[in-house]
This record gives sequence, structure tokens and C-alpha cells, in this order.
Amino acid sequence: MNNKLVVFTTTFILFVLLIVPAILASLIKMIPANDQPGYGSGGSVSVYGERTFTQYFVSKNKNLTAIGTTIKNPNLKNKKDIVFNLYDQDNNLIRTVNLNGFNIGDGDFIKIVFEPIIDSQNKKYYFNLASPDAKQDEIIEVFLTEPTDEIVEYIYDDEKHLGGAPIVTFHKPESRLKTVKLVYLNLLSKLLD
Amino acid sequence: MKINLIILAAILRLLVSGLLFHPDIKIIAFQTSFLRDGVTDIYRHLIQNKANLTLKEEFVYFPLTYFTIGSYQALAAPFLGDGFDSWLKDAGANSVVNNPNIFWYLIVLKLPLLIMDVVIAYLLLKFFKDRKLSQKAFELWLFNPFTIILIYAFSNIDLYAVLLTVIAFLYIRQKKLIKASVFIGLAIAFKLYSLLFVPFLFVSAKNIKEKMLTIVIPISIFVVSLIPFWSSAFIDSALVSGLSTRIFSPNFLIGFGESMIIGIFLLTILFLYVARYEKKINLLKLFVILLLILFSFSHFHISWLLWIAPFLIILVIKQPKLIWLVFLWSLLAVSIPMFYSDRSMTISLFRIYSTWFDLLPVPFTVVQKFYDPFGVQSIIHSALAGVSVLITYMMFKKEEALS
Repeated sequence: MNNKLVVFTTTFILFVLLIVPAILASLIKMIPANDQPGYGSGGSVSVYGERTFTQYFVSKNKNLTAIGTTIKNPNLKNKKDIVFNLYDQDNNLIRTVNLNGFNIGDGDFIKIVFEPIIDSQNKKYYFNLASPDAKQDEIIEVFLTEPTDEIVEYIYDDEKHLGGAPIVTFHKPESRLKTVKLVYLNLLSKLLD
Repeated sequence: MKINLIILAAILRLLVSGLLFHPDIKIIAFQTSFLRDGVTDIYRHLIQNKANLTLKEEFVYFPLTYFTIGSYQALAAPFLGDGFDSWLKDAGANSVVNNPNIFWYLIVLKLPLLIMDVVIAYLLLKFFKDRKLSQKAFELWLFNPFTIILIYAFSNIDLYAVLLTVIAFLYIRQKKLIKASVFIGLAIAFKLYSLLFVPFLFVSAKNIKEKMLTIVIPISIFVVSLIPFWSSAFIDSALVSGLSTRIFSPNFLIGFGESMIIGIFLLTILFLYVARYEKKINLLKLFVILLLILFSFSHFHISWLLWIAPFLIILVIKQPKLIWLVFLWSLLAVSIPMFYSDRSMTISLFRIYSTWFDLLPVPFTVVQKFYDPFGVQSIIHSALAGVSVLITYMMFKKEEALS
């Protein structure tokens, strides 16, 4: 019994520490390019009716497949359509996603997922966020932050400003194996630091 | 037991300590770090300074836990380095686990758990007169995956109370109930659950004097440890604990606003049966049944499972035929919290490896796509209760093996 028990427990613990993270890594469908920046002191802007929000950003990696940011839906009043249009730097509309305010809580981190853009690395894009049917008391709000090497500038009320929404870009992994490798490299780099 | 096996047991524990992270350990370490600044009433301190603190949780443990962990941290602080305090204060979900020193911090903070864990193994070694049996108990404690995960992954500070109840149980075995009462009292001062053992110490005492002392000693130790900190802050933060509220929650309505509280109902039957009809009181059997009732009929935290672990080890050594039943019980019991919506029960434990795991759904969310996750919890919990009844029956049936 003793040897069996020792072998079983040792195998189980090593499985948990070495294999389970690999299984988890292989299940990851998208990888964030960075951590979400803080909201800074830029406040927020309201989106409703003709008041739309346009954000220019650079995708640092290839396979851009989602953009995430924090959206406020005060008192959960917005239950209208929210339209997300993504354009390339030549103003071509390349992706459209329709959301509904009904599914957005007040202050939720919302991930807008679309078909991956394979050659997105180091390319500039912009997206427009609008809730055309929403009235003034059905606003959604987008937070603002300082510019980074990803978050370039935004347009609101026909005015261009530096910085913009604290967005995170998500990218489809090249392969499961590569994701597993990156997870273990991350662990190793911390261990050896 | 060969020294290389003991080294292997220690290595496994250190690996789990350094690589798996439950946020509670950092919260507790942050709160107990105030002892280094001379703060003695942590309950008032945290509430009065809430606005200025980066971590705003209340201290939910008893004062003895604060002083024990705080004192250890004061001793260990020189080994933790300059960045330790800023890591403690860091409220960033990602920066905390991306700190390259996290492995060292976790190993040092969990070191007292390793010491207590090994002490429990040696106490179990002493428990049996037969050398083979004591060896088995020692090995079973050191090499079972449940306690390793429960203690080191979840940074289980309930181990302080568990160690004290095991010491008390050794004294019970030696018929030294007064000494046992002292250790049960100390255990209660760490964690309230040990209070449930007191009525059974009372009924097993031989005479009126001993009966009185088995009640007075633990309660006095408990009360004395609390009195200096008695305040609304303490009551709200620590005294109205998960256990004291959850043990009363499973019930069914009997009409006109009244309800039948299952835990109290069963504990009353157990206590009165033992007090009135048991000729030879077996406290191992009673402690196990008591905890089986608790786990069968309450929504428990995974850390609580450690309370019963040493007693189950003793039980399966005395009744080897129960090993598969106890294994099944343990498996079911550990599975239930895995289906809570709390991320730190499963995937978040691996955040040191990568914060990308935050994007993965927890088992609760996965199940939600096909079935009601609370339904799954209920099914497993009902099975757990069924196995508990069977273990109880087997213990009564093979009573002589337990003496």
C-alpha cells in the first residue's frame, strides 16, 4: 500500500502542477496583448443617439479577434442596440458587431469578439461605438485614459484627443502548443528573475 | 519511514506552496502585518482605517490567529526582503501574481503550515501502539493528495485549530480529559467549530467535577481570548462567522414561520443518544459523526474539510475496510466547492502560471451551459450525505474496531 500511495500522490501532485496548467493553457481561445490600463483622470464620455465614440489604436499582435473595455450602463437604462464598427487605416469597414445594452451591466468589462484579422500585427485600426436609438437618459459611458503605444487617439463630439478608452486587444493564439509554451515560459521567466 | 520519503513529502508541499496561489493568504498576511506596527486590536484598526487601506476586507478570524500569524510574520520579515511590504499592499490583481518574488513569499508565509503538518504526522505516529499501524497513519497523512491540496493550495490556516484538536484527541486517548479540554479551548480560540466537541467531552467525563471542568476550561479559554477585543467591529467581522450562520441554514418549513434545522436536529439526537445510552463512549466515532453531520448539511468552505482529515485517517487505520468509502467521501466533499462560482476554488489557483487563465470559464459557468450548476452541487452534496450515513452505520456496526 505504501509504495502505491506514494506513487499515486506524487503523480497526482505533479499532474496538478505540471499538466493541469498545460491543459488550461490549451483551452485558451484568445490572448490579451496587455493588461487593461488604469482609467486615469480623464473621466468618461457618453454615447447615445448621434453622439458616437471613435477610438484609434494599434494592434501589437497578429490575429486580432476581440477588443475589451469597461463600459458603464448607468442604472442599466440602455436596452438598445449598440453598434461596433471596426475600420482599417484606409477607412474600410472590416468588422461589425451588434450588442445590446440589455446584456451590459454598469461597469462591466465587455469583450467585443469578431472573426480574427490575421495580418493585424503593428497595424493601425479604429473603431466606432454607437447606440443610435438611445435617448439622453439611456446613455452608455466609455472611460478615458492617457495615450499608450496601443491607445493612440479618440474622436468625440467631432474633436480629436490623445488617448482614449482603456482597451485591451485580444488575439487568437497561433496554436495550442505555442500558448502552452508561452505559459510555461512566463512561469520560468518569473522563477529565474 | 525512509528519510527520502520524508524529503519527497516536503518537496511536494513546497512545490504546491510556491506555485498555487489563493488570495486569502495575501489578505491575511496584509492584515496580520499590522502587528509589526504595534496594532493589537485589528478589528477596530481595519474598520477605522478602511478608507486609507488598499485591501479593505475585514479580519474574519479570532484574535489568537492574528497574534500567531502576525508574530510569525514579524520573525520572518527579515527573510522576506524589502519588496514584501509593497507586495502586501499591492491591490493589483495581475501585478500581485506577476511579482517574481511571489514564490519565495508564498513558501515563507506557508512555512508554519508545513511545520504543523509534520507535527500532526508525528502525533498520528504516536497515536497507535502497534508500530505498523502508527507507520501507516504517518504515511497516510503525509501522502494523501487531499490534505496537501487543502493545506497548501488554499493556504489553510484552520490547521492551527486542527493541530490543537489532534493534541486534545491524544490526551483523550490517554483519558486525560482536563488536558484535552485545555487544547480544545485553545482550538476554539482559533476556530469556533471545535466548540462542537465540548458537549461530547462533557458526556465522556467520569464525575461531576470532571464534567464541570470539561465545560468551564474550554469556554473560559475562549472567552478570555476574546474579551480584550470585544466590540461591534469584532462581532461583525469575526464572531458571526460562516460556521455559526451556515450550520443553522439547512432547514425545512413546518408551518407558521417555524422551521426544522437539520443540523441541530441530528446533533441533538447524537448527543442525547450518547449521553443516555452509550455504555462506552468512543470520542473518535463521535467526532467523526459530528463532522459528517456538519459537512452533510451545510454549505461549507473547502478549508473546513481539513477539520475532519486527521480523524478520518485514524478511522481508516482502525477500520481499513472503510478506506474506499472514506476516499469516496473525500472525493465528493472536495468536488462540491469546485462547482461554486468562486474562481479561487479552481482556475484562479493557477494565476501564477498565467493571468490568461482569467479568460477561461470556471466549472460553474461550463456546467451552466448544459445544466443548473446548483443542481450539480446538490446532487454531489446529497451523495456526500448518503456516504456519510453509510460511514456512520459502519462505525456503529464495527464499534469494537474503533476502541
